[in-house]
Amino acid sequence: MKVFRKHFLILILCFSGVTLIAQQKVITGEVTDSNGLPLPGVNVVLKGTNTGTQTDFDGLYSINAAEGQTLVFSYLGQRTEERIVGAANNINVAMVEDAESLDEVVVVGYGQQSERKVIQNISIVKEEDIQDIQGVAPQDLLQGQSSGVQVVGGSGVLGAPSVIRVRGVNSLTGGSNPLFVIDGVPIDDQSNLTTTQGGNTGLNPLSYLNTEDIESFTVLKDAAATSLYGTRGSNGVILITTKKGRLGQKTQVTVGFSSSISEATFIEDMMNLQQYADFEIENTRALTGEDVTAADLGLDGEGFDWLDAVTRQGISSNRDFSISGGSENSTFALSINHSNNEGFVIGNQLEKTGARVNLSTQASDWLKAGINLATTVTLNDRIGAQNNTFAPITAGFLQTPNVLPRDENGDFVNTGFIANVLAIEALDRNETATTKTTGNIFVEAALLDGLRARIDFGVDRTLIDQTRRSVEVNSPGGFAQNRINQVNRHLITATLNYNKTFGDYNLGVLLGTSYEETKTNRTRVFGTNFLSDKLLNVRSAGTFTNTFSDRLETRLYGQVFSRVSYDYQGKYLLEGSFRRDGSSRFGDNNKFGNFWAVAGGWIISDEAFMSNSFFDYLSLRASYGTTGNDRIGTFPFLGLFSTLNYEDLSGLEPSSADNPDIQWEETSTLDIGFKSAFFNNRVRLDVNYYEKQTDNLLLNVPLPLQAGIGTWAIGNPILSQNAGKIENKGFEFDLNTVNISNGDFEWTTRINLSTVENTVLELPGANRDEEGRQFVSGSTQQRAIVGESANSFYLIRYVGVNPQTGEAEWLNANDEITNNPTPDDRKIVGDAQPDFYGGIANTFRYKNFDLNIFANYSYGNDIFIGSIRFTDAPIGFNLSTRMLDYWRQPGDNAYFPRLDGDTAALFRTTSTNQLKDGSFIRLKNITLGYTLPNKVIEKLRFIQNARIYFTGTNLVTLKNRDLGDRDPEVTNNINPLQLGESFFVAPQAKSYLFGIRMSF
Amino acid sequence: MKKNKNLLFVFFAALLVFSSCEDKLFLEPEDSLTPDVVLSSAALAEGALVGAYGRMRSDNVFNGTTQLTQDWMSDNINFVGSFPTFQEMRDYTTIASNGSVSAYWRDHFFVLASANFLINKLPDAEIPDLEDSERARILAEARFIRAITNFNLVNLFAQPFQVANGANEGIPLVTEFFEGDIAPFQLPRSTVNETHAFIEQDLLQAIPNLLESTSRGRASQGAARALLARLYLYTDRFELAADFANQVIQASEFELAADYSFYNQDDASEHIFQIINNPVNAQTTGQGYSGLTNPADVARGDAPYSQNLLDAFAEEPGDLRFTLFNQEGVDAVQGTQTFTTKYPDAVNAADNAPVLRVTEMYTIRAEANLRTGLTIGDTPLNDINALRTRAGLPNLANVTLDIILNEKRKELCFEGHRRMDLLRNRLPLRRPGMANEAESAFGADKTILPIPTSERDLNPNISQNPGY
Repeated sequence: MKVFRKHFLILILCFSGVTLIAQQKVITGEVTDSNGLPLPGVNVVLKGTNTGTQTDFDGLYSINAAEGQTLVFSYLGQRTEERIVGAANNINVAMVEDAESLDEVVVVGYGQQSERKVIQNISIVKEEDIQDIQGVAPQDLLQGQSSGVQVVGGSGVLGAPSVIRVRGVNSLTGGSNPLFVIDGVPIDDQSNLTTTQGGNTGLNPLSYLNTEDIESFTVLKDAAATSLYGTRGSNGVILITTKKGRLGQKTQVTVGFSSSISEATFIEDMMNLQQYADFEIENTRALTGEDVTAADLGLDGEGFDWLDAVTRQGISSNRDFSISGGSENSTFALSINHSNNEGFVIGNQLEKTGARVNLSTQASDWLKAGINLATTVTLNDRIGAQNNTFAPITAGFLQTPNVLPRDENGDFVNTGFIANVLAIEALDRNETATTKTTGNIFVEAALLDGLRARIDFGVDRTLIDQTRRSVEVNSPGGFAQNRINQVNRHLITATLNYNKTFGDYNLGVLLGTSYEETKTNRTRVFGTNFLSDKLLNVRSAGTFTNTFSDRLETRLYGQVFSRVSYDYQGKYLLEGSFRRDGSSRFGDNNKFGNFWAVAGGWIISDEAFMSNSFFDYLSLRASYGTTGNDRIGTFPFLGLFSTLNYEDLSGLEPSSADNPDIQWEETSTLDIGFKSAFFNNRVRLDVNYYEKQTDNLLLNVPLPLQAGIGTWAIGNPILSQNAGKIENKGFEFDLNTVNISNGDFEWTTRINLSTVENTVLELPGANRDEEGRQFVSGSTQQRAIVGESANSFYLIRYVGVNPQTGEAEWLNANDEITNNPTPDDRKIVGDAQPDFYGGIANTFRYKNFDLNIFANYSYGNDIFIGSIRFTDAPIGFNLSTRMLDYWRQPGDNAYFPRLDGDTAALFRTTSTNQLKDGSFIRLKNITLGYTLPNKVIEKLRFIQNARIYFTGTNLVTLKNRDLGDRDPEVTNNINPLQLGESFFVAPQAKSYLFGIRMSF
Repeated sequence: MKKNKNLLFVFFAALLVFSSCEDKLFLEPEDSLTPDVVLSSAALAEGALVGAYGRMRSDNVFNGTTQLTQDWMSDNINFVGSFPTFQEMRDYTTIASNGSVSAYWRDHFFVLASANFLINKLPDAEIPDLEDSERARILAEARFIRAITNFNLVNLFAQPFQVANGANEGIPLVTEFFEGDIAPFQLPRSTVNETHAFIEQDLLQAIPNLLESTSRGRASQGAARALLARLYLYTDRFELAADFANQVIQASEFELAADYSFYNQDDASEHIFQIINNPVNAQTTGQGYSGLTNPADVARGDAPYSQNLLDAFAEEPGDLRFTLFNQEGVDAVQGTQTFTTKYPDAVNAADNAPVLRVTEMYTIRAEANLRTGLTIGDTPLNDINALRTRAGLPNLANVTLDIILNEKRKELCFEGHRRMDLLRNRLPLRRPGMANEAESAFGADKTILPIPTSERDLNPNISQNPGY
């Protein structure tokens, strides 16, 4: 801003004498933003001249002009306004934020650039796009918002991890999540610090953050954008910028309240007692020939609807309070908010309180300093999930309807293997309390003309306190657990920034170095044998069954990183970047890695020959470069022995094999694209194509079971190897249009669509399947196979029930019908990755009403519903109502084979019978808002702005009929090799919210 | 002045940032050791051995799951639990991708890896404070561990010796420790005879260097001899079986218990070898002895007495082996059943797992003598009457093979012996009238477990059992 001001002063000095024209008068006025606040520093220029001025601290200006001339008001991030000077001497302008403007300054890695001149491939998600989206973690807000970013909601359990991928699966070892960076601090996202409780992962570590603080996201996609993040850039980088005050902004106080109710989107029908008894009577007759009654089977009585009992309408509320503003030298933003979310599954609740302070000040003419700091306290009342008979949803499905939760006295009873989840949620404690503090402190000095130095110290501290206590009726003897995990990360970053214009050339140089340490401490204690349910903690236990503490540390040294940007006349752009990273995770043979990128761009629309063209803006862009991925554990390179005790003696087991050459994965990305704007900037279309190839793919290559190495009883033996090669390529389209804009009515649309084609190119050393292809197994049903997708479903093909024989039929390896399939009959039958995915947002504004309709979609992905193997098989659990459709007589087109047939027991064999088309389009968010008109506001005096709004989340979902009453957005696991698998995953929530937001 | 300030800033910045970060990248784990360190002191070498016993603690190896599985594949247990992988084994519908079977297989090879580390690395390791005799003892214990683990595996995954005189397929015999090359771990299966010979060789080699007397949770000379007795019995070498069983019975460390209070006693002389558990180092999965055999209000309630076993006890009322070891309780599907009380600690699953005990030696000596017409140590009648006396039952006048097997069943029910005792005597696992009697016949495909899909996926050299 200062530079601007200086330039304009010079301009005014130079030209004030020569632009005098007759009939001049002094025009004065106030320029305000859309909230009615004065806007200082707005450029006010006489069109067609070099005469201009700026608004002062109170948004006021004064300029000499003649009638008939046009004043142009421009300000970064606001739509440029024009006013013709008429008879009046006063012209007030209310500026409107301009989402389509290309002149905005946007956040990129280690700095900012003008969006117009950005030749890295980045996506910006702005505050207004996400303000009405309900979400516990940052990923929730990003769903469908940006091309190249795929977010699959985890489950309807609060805090459950969602899967987020930037440009497909680039790694197979569990590390395909992008790096999240908040105000320059890379956030720890270890997902194994909370217990899984039946799911495949613990809580989403980013759910401890406060989503209210987020002003915008920048998604860094190509190598030009991510190579500055070196060994952590391959999966993409997501920069989060938090809300800050603005220089010269009048202090503004904002309060918001909202309240919502939520319920399950989809729940399948299970049998009631009558249906279950009838089925069991028939089944007993079919299997034994005996005629039995419901009473004989213990299936008489009133019955109980477990699934109904474990779900509810969750009631949630949210309130927030913030103050922001700024003087000429300093800015500040303070906020505090509190939310209380109740899940639709009993016993599930998430309470979050967060506070943030962002300050910055120009301490002297050469020194600037500031702090951004936030603490969030979260209390998650957890429930079991998925593969856990103590999980409400799972038990709700599986508990047979004859089982009652209470005895004749009304006391809870123990229901055995399928637990009495009502008793558990009513009586047991299962809490995870977290405190997360993130922030950075910086000083920045202007050293020479155009040269600035900056030192940034960042912290990210997480304290996780997990407490469990189960009472006598649920766990005889009782048990208690306490686990305390701490993650302490700090980093220091020093950068030099040089920006200088030499005639027609602009040069920008960034040079930096950084050092980062992450320490993870884990402590846990368990106890059993409690005298009373009222004794709550481990210290009151009679037997102490587990005492454990350990410490892990990783260090990352960004020895040097640099970016050089160079342009000629602002239209021929070149950029190069480099980073050299060292990591404690890599073996002695490969401690350091070098990563680099080059990018070039041409703003065609700035050429003279384009001056009368259709385009308001058109640029071409290409980049190529390399990045790395270091997510392979703490000491993957060492052969190790770890503790395994026996009797009262201390012992050791071989937990990992020696692996000295292990190193980062290296991804090289080619990216080309164009950005365009036309029809008066009303249409913006960006198109990109990328090819991303990862070499030295880190694979947890499954070792033959005979090798017997690994942490005991955790899983099959594996060895990390830089063994493979994988490729992702695809197109990304972003289309933003202003469809209608005429004063009172405005309609804008944002559409993004991404394709991704993932192919495993090489898996040297991996084993071969029956057809000779090398593969790595992700799960029983999913494999990464050379020449195919990394998420190929590999299953026996199910045909159906033969109407004549009543027996279920499958295809064998030779495509012949069989009644007795074996694992050798498996084929590639599907892909968990979509052909394309994206989002569509429509925003309507009519006078004071606004309507946002946002849908996200995914097409062509398959999902594996493992729970079918349990709900659709007579093995002692409650049954899906689909099971009523069993084969009775020749000609029946039945779902389930004849009860007395040989295939009744084999029906549940893992096969395509459990594989479903996961394509969907979902009305993710619909919000209707009403902003109080200015007339009313003026009368109310003290209020500056007020908006009330209704939001519906996940109200409508279109999906394949074959999927039945199941949620298409499911995932068991963030492991990249186990995409799109569901095992009693709680469906997404559907919610209705009412809110109000006021500023003073 | 301004220039000075700037310089000061740059100086401090440089100081903060460029203080040699490179050296900091060389970290060592705080809770693990590298293999060379493990073989640097006597205490650590002993630790590696303790870890091998630790791996034996897996429920899938010796802490109950595979033992109880064999009891419900046969006629002792009425498995009523809802775990489909267990139900498949009960119903003789097991498929090769059965997850429990895969875990059984895997956990046995985990134990073998720990043993093979010592057997391969310890002989040549330079450990100044390790006496030669200690080194030999550690190696001998590792060989015992390898032998008993291989024996458990071959019994589960191969047809018994009697099907083809041991020429049938056994198990892969892993001898090396993994250090990067997978070839030694993609072995084909050896024959049952080769497997048995390998086990026998390990045990015979171990005996001289094992201790005569040690913790009953550790390998002793008696434990190795007892296992040999069982091996010889299973391979119809009855004279050797009687001889080795007799050697154990004669040894002063072991004694037939006077009553049944020896369960869960760490040092009762009835025990030749057991897995000693405690609440901290307990059974591992909740599906071991304590988890499966206790009623549903405290545990899983999965594995009550079968009606057939109840009937067998009912033939001679007052049998202390039943009256002392039964309780009524709620089963996994809300029915009422009779459960054993051999493993009562459902809360901590800290009950010991009996593996080799003197009672078994009496039954081996009796059966082997009966079959050969010898009286090594004592007569079959005396041996069986000794057991009956302890059970509060009257002496018999003569014994037959059926009587010996019946007494053995009652002594060792819920300890995993029944399936092999039936199979090696060419008997079906189920009695007439029980479900799946035909499928349970001697030599039938599903009386043994499949080589797991997880093994076959990664080992092109291993063959599947017929019928899977």
